[in-house]
Amino acid sequence: MATIVKKCCCFEVPEDLVESVIFKCTSPDCCCGCCAPRYKRLVDSVFPRNPQDGLVKSNMEKLTFYVLSSPEKLDRVGEYLYQKVSRDIYRKRNGFTVIGVECMDQLLQACHSQTLNLFVESFLKMVQKLLESPDPNLQILATKSFVKFANIEEDTPSYHRRYDFFVSKFASMCHNNSSNDEFRNEIRKAGIQGLKSVVRKTVSDELVENIWETSHMEKIIPSLLFNMEHGRKTLVKDENDGVTEAQDEIDAPKLAENCMRDLVNKATFGHVRSIVKPVLHHFDAFELWVPNDFAVHTFRVIMFSIQSQYSYAVIETLMNHLEQHTHSSNAKIRTSMADVLAKIIDIAAGESVGPSVLEIVNAIVQHIQVSTKLDRVDGDEKSYRETLISALGEYVTHLPDYQKIEIMKFIMQKVPSRSDNCQSHRLLQNMLLKSLLMVGSKYRTTYLSTTFPIAFLQPLLTLSQDDDPEVRLLVQNILHTLIDRRQNREKLFTPTLKLENINREPSTRTDILFVKKNGAEIFSNMIASLEKNNNELRNMNAIYTTVALFTVELFCEDTLFDFVRLVLSFQDLAITSTVLSPAQKIHLHVIALCLFVLIAYCLPVLKEYSDKVIKARRDQAIHLMPPLKTRYEVYEPSQNIPDAALLSQDAIYTLLKQEGFEPTTVKSAAYTFPRHSWVDAHMQSSSTTDLNSISLEVDSGSSTPDGTKQKPNQTDMELTVESLKKILNEPSENRKAVESEKRKNLNESFKTAAFEDLVSKAAAKGGNLQNKLSEIFSKVAVSGTVESPSRTNNNHTSNHVGNKVRFPNIYEL
Amino acid sequence: MEDYRFLFKVVLVGNAGVGKTCLVRRFTQGLFPPGQGATIGVDFMIKTVDINGEKVKLQIWDTAGQERFRSITQSYYRSAHALILVYDVSSQPSFDCLPDWLREIEEYANAKVLRVLVGNKTDREDREIPTYVGEDFAQRNNMYFMETSAKEADNVEKLFMEIAHALIEQAKAREPVPEYKGNPGQSVTLNHRTPSTTSESCCSRLL
Ligand SMILES: Nc1nc2c(ncn2[C@@H]2O[C@H](COP(=O)(O)OP(=O)(O)O)[C@@H](O)[C@H]2O)c(=O)[nH]1
Ligand SMILES: [Mg+2]
Repeated sequence: MATIVKKCCCFEVPEDLVESVIFKCTSPDCCCGCCAPRYKRLVDSVFPRNPQDGLVKSNMEKLTFYVLSSPEKLDRVGEYLYQKVSRDIYRKRNGFTVIGVECMDQLLQACHSQTLNLFVESFLKMVQKLLESPDPNLQILATKSFVKFANIEEDTPSYHRRYDFFVSKFASMCHNNSSNDEFRNEIRKAGIQGLKSVVRKTVSDELVENIWETSHMEKIIPSLLFNMEHGRKTLVKDENDGVTEAQDEIDAPKLAENCMRDLVNKATFGHVRSIVKPVLHHFDAFELWVPNDFAVHTFRVIMFSIQSQYSYAVIETLMNHLEQHTHSSNAKIRTSMADVLAKIIDIAAGESVGPSVLEIVNAIVQHIQVSTKLDRVDGDEKSYRETLISALGEYVTHLPDYQKIEIMKFIMQKVPSRSDNCQSHRLLQNMLLKSLLMVGSKYRTTYLSTTFPIAFLQPLLTLSQDDDPEVRLLVQNILHTLIDRRQNREKLFTPTLKLENINREPSTRTDILFVKKNGAEIFSNMIASLEKNNNELRNMNAIYTTVALFTVELFCEDTLFDFVRLVLSFQDLAITSTVLSPAQKIHLHVIALCLFVLIAYCLPVLKEYSDKVIKARRDQAIHLMPPLKTRYEVYEPSQNIPDAALLSQDAIYTLLKQEGFEPTTVKSAAYTFPRHSWVDAHMQSSSTTDLNSISLEVDSGSSTPDGTKQKPNQTDMELTVESLKKILNEPSENRKAVESEKRKNLNESFKTAAFEDLVSKAAAKGGNLQNKLSEIFSKVAVSGTVESPSRTNNNHTSNHVGNKVRFPNIYEL
Repeated sequence: MEDYRFLFKVVLVGNAGVGKTCLVRRFTQGLFPPGQGATIGVDFMIKTVDINGEKVKLQIWDTAGQERFRSITQSYYRSAHALILVYDVSSQPSFDCLPDWLREIEEYANAKVLRVLVGNKTDREDREIPTYVGEDFAQRNNMYFMETSAKEADNVEKLFMEIAHALIEQAKAREPVPEYKGNPGQSVTLNHRTPSTTSESCCSRLL
């Protein structure tokens, strides 16, 4: 660098200028203008004698023409102008400063097609100089100039140009706290506009400046949010005052929001986090989660601006943040965050594809899981979980149906298969079933076989036998929402004889196949469900609804006998059960009748008969009429029921025969009671008494306490506590396979074996089984805990249907 | 005409109300502002000083002390050449928070940043922190120390001049270092005519 500092007679030559000046100004006694190079004289001529007169337009045209015709002079002009403006700023001659800036702006506009590089350097130095001034007018002037510059497309941007200072300063201006209201507002707006321009200038070319760097985003994002939020408060006030701003005048919060939209819109996948993290920190720091309307607003802005394929990354970042808050923040804050999630997640759903879908579902489920493990049981924690579930619902609503099924299967895998004493476990079971119900309610069934793949139906039915009536009710509700294709649920909410406007359509082949494939299984579960002695009224009503909906959906000539047999089984159970209370038995009679009336509704030939039974009940057994009640006057309902008030199998079959309907292979067997949860049934006993010594033969399909009924018998099995333990310790897949094999055999024999064979087979085993059962019960009774036998067993507390997250194949990339 | 040889960024931190803004105003504008509002976000001031005939431009970033602005203020520490941590000698709580501030600085600032501890408001009668306590704290934490009064203009000029001086020394000591240690967000290279190979890691020099 030159060390000689030359002095011109007109002004001090700063070191930087030496190069450009040194050759021109040689005369020590030159006077202003005469020896100055032409470009300086042209620049000087642009300034009027009196600043009020403004830029000298004609001379400006000359200057412009000059630089256009000799572009190599542009750099020097720029440098010289910068020096002039600097001096005017220093001497606080604002009038001349404004003119200098205007001149610079015009040159920039005029020469934008040229190589502007060095000129731009001078220009930016000028802008910085202005921004460094404490005078708000100059800061605003600088911003306006910078905005114009940002709108110019540069052919060759300079790669060593840095915008650190501009980001820092504009962000600072966004927070201006001047006591002068007008200045404060203007400077803040200038700050926002400045940031917007920096973004515009840099976003397209990361070589110039990586605007997504943390150090920039941590300044830009909070500055925008601060203004967006601050504006919301004053906005309300303004509206009340009825003050309307000038049309072209856009206010700070709007401006900030626009800038946010611009920025978010430019973000690619890797940048999403750079944006969202400072947003989340801002909400934390400013405690903007409760209430969360601003947070919701902001996130909606983000979701609507972001390129849709990245919207899932926003959700993910928000969910990670929720995770960070799990242990540190109170439930109110987390609820609010989850609520934000619920309110924006639908925007992401439309675009989510592939693994991201299940990742999101998995993350929500995990949050629910974590929450159930917390020791807090307050209402806040509860509403947090409810909010998460509704977020899940919002998300799922917008997914295609096939994904909903996958999600249901996925959640199902996570539900603990049996509840035990562990409170959190129970809670989790409950919450996940609620989630499942939520997802199910967003799903529209077309084919039942599609809705209920075996991997989903099986565990669901197992849960329908849970000890907890609450869980069983949830399962029934899930079934309702999935079975009810034609909106009949409301009409069949409780057992009723009045059936109007039931929507029906002819059953399809797939429907019939579904019944043939799964009917036995489902219906046996319904019977077993009805027999739970801790059923409440709502459980009974719900089971009725399930069967009624199945009937409406699937009843046809081909399935006729399946349904008739089921209804008769209900009545049989009421008559023969030794475990049900009198009231529960009455419920069964009522349900059987109401279902039969529904069958008659579908098959009018039975109408007359059903009317007859109704009349008989009305006359002689009025307590067997709907609705279900908790308490009945009658003591033992199963006795003394006149035959006419009962459904008669013979009468029905005769009627059907007259119409040409014959039961197929199996002539008249009622439904049996295969308990897939037979392990449960026995574990209950084993837990209270030492049953190691007991070995007995049972078949997997019959473990009802009243072993007197005739059942088809297929598999013999040595059952000991040891063998049960072994089964439980086996991998569940393995066990499932064995079980389903057994079931297959059972169904097979049920369908094909001659009735007499079955009877004799069952009779042979029956006595044996009976003996063994009474043996068990007598042992159990000694310990006096027959009522709730399983609750002390801790060995199997975490018997999940599936412990691992398994992603279905279709999501594998 | 103003020009300079060195440019340094100085950031002030410390609890709200200890007098950071007053210190900056006193230094840059020579006044003690009556009842201005609390700083929000970050404020900016500039002053060029003369150190042994060399012009040094100080960019001073005055941060808000309130917790909620912490995330934006933190982003300014990173590029600072000097950090002034201020407490109020008449406020024990402001002194008690110093370890927290140090942790902040440790986490977010450049490791080589020049750290200065300042006890402000020495003009007050109700002093709670004796000088030696502040001094001791500074020594233990490897910081420069000074007591000031923004109100009485005591030591304010001196504070910034010494910082400028120390930073120049630092810069000169590093000057011979030949290789370019690029450090994002470090220097305002705008002032470079040519991308220089002698860019230092802690300050940028205008050649
Ligand atoms: N007595 C006295 N008061 C001061 C001094 N410096 C600042 N103050 C007062 O302390 C209060 C807070 O000052 P301010 O600069 O806004 O603090 P900041 O929040 O750290 O920026 C104001 O009321 C000032 O008048 C000082 O040196 N002496
Ligand atoms: Mg302040």
